[in-house]
Amino acid sequence: MLKKIIRTNEFVVFLILVGLSLVVGLINPAFFAISTLFDILRGSIVYFIMAFGLLPIIIAGGVDISFVAIAAFTSYATHMFLLSRGYQGGLFLYFLIAGGLGLLAGLLNAFLVTRFKLPVFDVSLATFTMWYGFTLFFVGATANFDLPKPTVGYYENFLMVAQDPVSGQTGLHVSILYVLVIGLVVWWFLKYTTIGRGVYAIGGNKDVAVRSGFNINRIMMIIFALMGILASVAGVTQAFLNRFFNPVVFIGNPLDVIAAVILGGAAITGGRGTVIGTAMGVVLIQLINRALIITGIPVEWQKLVVGIILVIFTSLPALRERRARRMGRTTELAQ
Amino acid sequence: MDKNPVPSTPQKTRFGWAKKIPLDSQTLLLLGVFIVLFIFFSVANDRFFTVRSVRSMSYQLPEIGVLSLAMMITILVGGINLSVNATSNMAAVIAGFFMVKLIPADASSQVVGLYMALAILVALLIGVLCGVLNGILVGYIGVPPILATLATFTLYTGISTGLTGGKTVTGFPDQFAKIGSTTVLGVPLPFIIFVLLALAISILIQRTTFGFKARMMGSNPVAATFSGIDNPSMIMKIFIISGVLSAVTGILTMSRTMSAAYEYGTTTFVLLTILISVLANILPGFGSVLNIFVAVLILQIISTGFNMLLTGVSGGTFFKDFSWGVLMILIFITNYFIRRRRQTES
Amino acid sequence: MADEILRVEHIGKRFGGVVALDDVNLSIGQGETCCLVGENGSGKSTLIKIISGIYTPDQGDIYINGHHYHKITPIESIREGIQVIYQDFSLFPNLTVAENIALNQQLSSGKPLVNWKTIHRIAAEGLERINVSLPLDAIVDTLSTADRQLIAIVKALLAEARIIIMDEPTTALTRKEIASLFKLINELKQRGISTLFVSHKLNEVTEIADRTVIFRNGQKVMDQSARGLDIKTMEFYMTGREIQAGSVDFGTVPQVESPLLKVEKINLSHGFFDVSFELRQNEVLGITGLLGSGRAELGLALFGELPVDSGRIWVEGREVQLKKITDAVAAGIGFVPEDRVREGLFLEHSINNNIIVTLVDRLKGRLRIMDRKRQAAESEKWIKRLELKTPSGELPAKSLSGGNQQRVVLAKWLAMNPKILILNGPTVGVDVGSKAEIHELIRTLAKQGLGIVIISDDIPELTQTCHRILLMRSGRLVEEFTRETISEERLSAELVGAVVPAGQ
Repeated sequence: MLKKIIRTNEFVVFLILVGLSLVVGLINPAFFAISTLFDILRGSIVYFIMAFGLLPIIIAGGVDISFVAIAAFTSYATHMFLLSRGYQGGLFLYFLIAGGLGLLAGLLNAFLVTRFKLPVFDVSLATFTMWYGFTLFFVGATANFDLPKPTVGYYENFLMVAQDPVSGQTGLHVSILYVLVIGLVVWWFLKYTTIGRGVYAIGGNKDVAVRSGFNINRIMMIIFALMGILASVAGVTQAFLNRFFNPVVFIGNPLDVIAAVILGGAAITGGRGTVIGTAMGVVLIQLINRALIITGIPVEWQKLVVGIILVIFTSLPALRERRARRMGRTTELAQ
Repeated sequence: MDKNPVPSTPQKTRFGWAKKIPLDSQTLLLLGVFIVLFIFFSVANDRFFTVRSVRSMSYQLPEIGVLSLAMMITILVGGINLSVNATSNMAAVIAGFFMVKLIPADASSQVVGLYMALAILVALLIGVLCGVLNGILVGYIGVPPILATLATFTLYTGISTGLTGGKTVTGFPDQFAKIGSTTVLGVPLPFIIFVLLALAISILIQRTTFGFKARMMGSNPVAATFSGIDNPSMIMKIFIISGVLSAVTGILTMSRTMSAAYEYGTTTFVLLTILISVLANILPGFGSVLNIFVAVLILQIISTGFNMLLTGVSGGTFFKDFSWGVLMILIFITNYFIRRRRQTES
Repeated sequence: MADEILRVEHIGKRFGGVVALDDVNLSIGQGETCCLVGENGSGKSTLIKIISGIYTPDQGDIYINGHHYHKITPIESIREGIQVIYQDFSLFPNLTVAENIALNQQLSSGKPLVNWKTIHRIAAEGLERINVSLPLDAIVDTLSTADRQLIAIVKALLAEARIIIMDEPTTALTRKEIASLFKLINELKQRGISTLFVSHKLNEVTEIADRTVIFRNGQKVMDQSARGLDIKTMEFYMTGREIQAGSVDFGTVPQVESPLLKVEKINLSHGFFDVSFELRQNEVLGITGLLGSGRAELGLALFGELPVDSGRIWVEGREVQLKKITDAVAAGIGFVPEDRVREGLFLEHSINNNIIVTLVDRLKGRLRIMDRKRQAAESEKWIKRLELKTPSGELPAKSLSGGNQQRVVLAKWLAMNPKILILNGPTVGVDVGSKAEIHELIRTLAKQGLGIVIISDDIPELTQTCHRILLMRSGRLVEEFTRETISEERLSAELVGAVVPAGQ
């Protein structure tokens, strides 16, 4: 059992996480504080949610970038709508409406992909551009800070509190619970439902999945709906955490989320990936960003370091596979 | 990407030269769309089809056009280059520094011109280097192109950010603006550069041994290796060309804006070039520069057209994005029906 | 006469203008092993797809277990007990053995949730049924072809298959594994499970079939007991003409001082050891052995794809280092791979492009601009020479049949004027008619001066084309046969080893 875990990609990521933390902690022991953990988690919350939504799509062999535009559109549109109605209630209605819009947006992608046999990426490129333009033109182009009164305190809604030497008080935000629940739901979906296994099947061999009797269209509808809903949840959560609604929130970041999922052990070609791995991938990226700050590298050079790390990180598995393929070729033939 | 291309069969035509123009169904569709849009905007807004507006459009589109060429050739060989914009910015930043820091204050205009030329060479060299790194990662180490160029995108942006400290580089000699603003027979120089580069790339792809081998490799890399094609070397060369084209874009932008920034365009530009390639139906092994050209034109006239129609409307500059997205979806759907009809016919 | 499980009557199917099946009738009884034989394009695959529900017939009726269908869906076909094992075994490479085995059951049960204990139980039971043990949690990607086939068979059995349809099942199996497979098929027969065995390997057909059905041009041309049906007759019905296997003109191999190719003590770890041999001009040299004997690796080593670890190689007296394929091509060596679709052809590109791909550098003008005229002339020449049947050289290579596709790959290398040509499995998946033509072509090329190496496990092919045959076993060259010492029976026995084929 232990051997099985060690062999997985996820374990490698875990080792990297631990290793990196140790290295950073050695450079600056202040790193090993609870507040650091809370900060990292807080910075990861919305990425967790988006990455969990993206994961099934990637396992199914597709790459989607439209989720950022869906997040922006649904959260911003919902807010402007409720604002115009003078809404002064809590968050729930936000999640409900935005989630509903996100569901529909996800279904649009799924519809185009299945009905017209289009590649996931191409469709997502089109809908990304469409939602981006739609939000900015039809809904509005300026950030809005006018939050309903009951939601204003949300950003400080901590489960636990800790003292951070630099930024003062920080804490474990309550939305981490949502993340846990969402993560559990997605994990359960992928591991314990037939449709979830179907996602892996499609990613492993789509033709065989069709032949086996999986309803591809239904599976695609479900995972895209999930992606849309989670994108909107992320958008709304982000807005309340930062206390303003931004029509271009996340727009620059789809690649970061994709990178997190891939770093977490999913294959870009599909067929593999886990919630735990994805979560670690997100944390890893946040950790790298945090580590850069703590080690005192000037802000303007941080991206360079990230770039170098990414170059190395992507090269290693490729080199490993290269050697394995050379060996595999001869060992497979010599049976 | 969609996997169903049909290479064009030569048509019998009175005009022999027309046979040489690669017209496939996508080109016709795009041309059709272009004409429809052109008429629409000309009718909707009488300021559209004026010399002034056409000229202004032809100043803006070469940058996206050349960058799209940089993206296109990498898609053609079965890869992708997410670092095109980052390369362009980095080339601009470094060339910018070269000019700003090295040109003596009291230099004569010939000396300044010399420095400018050197700066351009520096930019192109940066493009080459960026391409070399991409080529090593993808061709020799075997990193999937999307991941490798994602990493180099971050790396190159990081270099630009670090060098500039987040600030925009300015202070170029006035003559430099000439590149972006000179006209030849009324046509802006950048546009001419774009057309020339498009022609060059087209010839490279369709008529040289290099282009041929690249297309075959894109279609089936394993068979290419087994046919004696040196895949890693080809990939390296393709990425170098892509890098150089990106650098040219950087120079054009620099000249037009008289500045260089690490984050000009960022992700949206890259997505735009991919959008253009998808619209142009560029596939591994198959792709036409003419389609890219028309796709760029389409995107440009939509952008300018709607901006004109919607001046004064808040957020008006964003309607074009919405319409690009909708247009793409419509073209996808149209292609689906075309493909289906073609299959039932055969 | 055993109970009839499946009957199809007057089945017709067209694709566009092409008739794939024409008034086909077939019936399969319980516990019957029926072999379906035919050239590529004869209709046998189409019939399989209709029976399994993937295609809908234009005319005709299907009767399974007494139920009448005009058209059938895959799920219905599965429910009636029809299980098709395709060449890719319909497995998910990224999932475990247990999941692959049990997934179909999970799906057909309609249960939305997955109980892993149940999955493992089902899988374990299934493996037990055929007395095989495989690690349930192993990812299928990591298993051998033979093991994967076993999983496919277990899947079929678990689905309560009444008829198992196997499409070219022995392609990637060693002789020993084939024997195991045949034994299994006979055991299934005892249990009343019928097998529909699609194959082009006529010697296997004679070994395993109760009944032989032959298709040609969309029509069933023979359907009778396999007893007494010999290979020559089968070939005749498959092609509609007699294949002259008789005396073949081999051409002589002149004895020259220096051989065309000389190989001395070459080694490849996990491949072959201490191999030395020579190849002369005008000679056809066969290399054979069981799957895994190192024969394929040897071919790839000579082409530079798997560079040798040690040893020396000379071409035309000059020593060469074959570290990558471009080295081999520069040395004048061409290679026709076994998996022509993946390794030899650019399916979406035109036939012309495929033919000249090795030549482009030679057919160019200034500035590396391609000389289109010369290219067209060259590809036209080869299409004619190799009798490639196609309305136009501009059509994509995927529009061709297997035999014609193989000709394209051959043309590609011949156009380059190689000194040495290595062919790995040259007639795999090629129809019988084209097969004979390709053999004649090989002999002709040798007479014209080429040195040819054929790597194959098709004994008749080897005896009909080769001057000498080298036998490999476990990575070593163990024996050499010349035209005088060769005999089909001896080679068969050598290849089979000590294992007795099933049914005897």
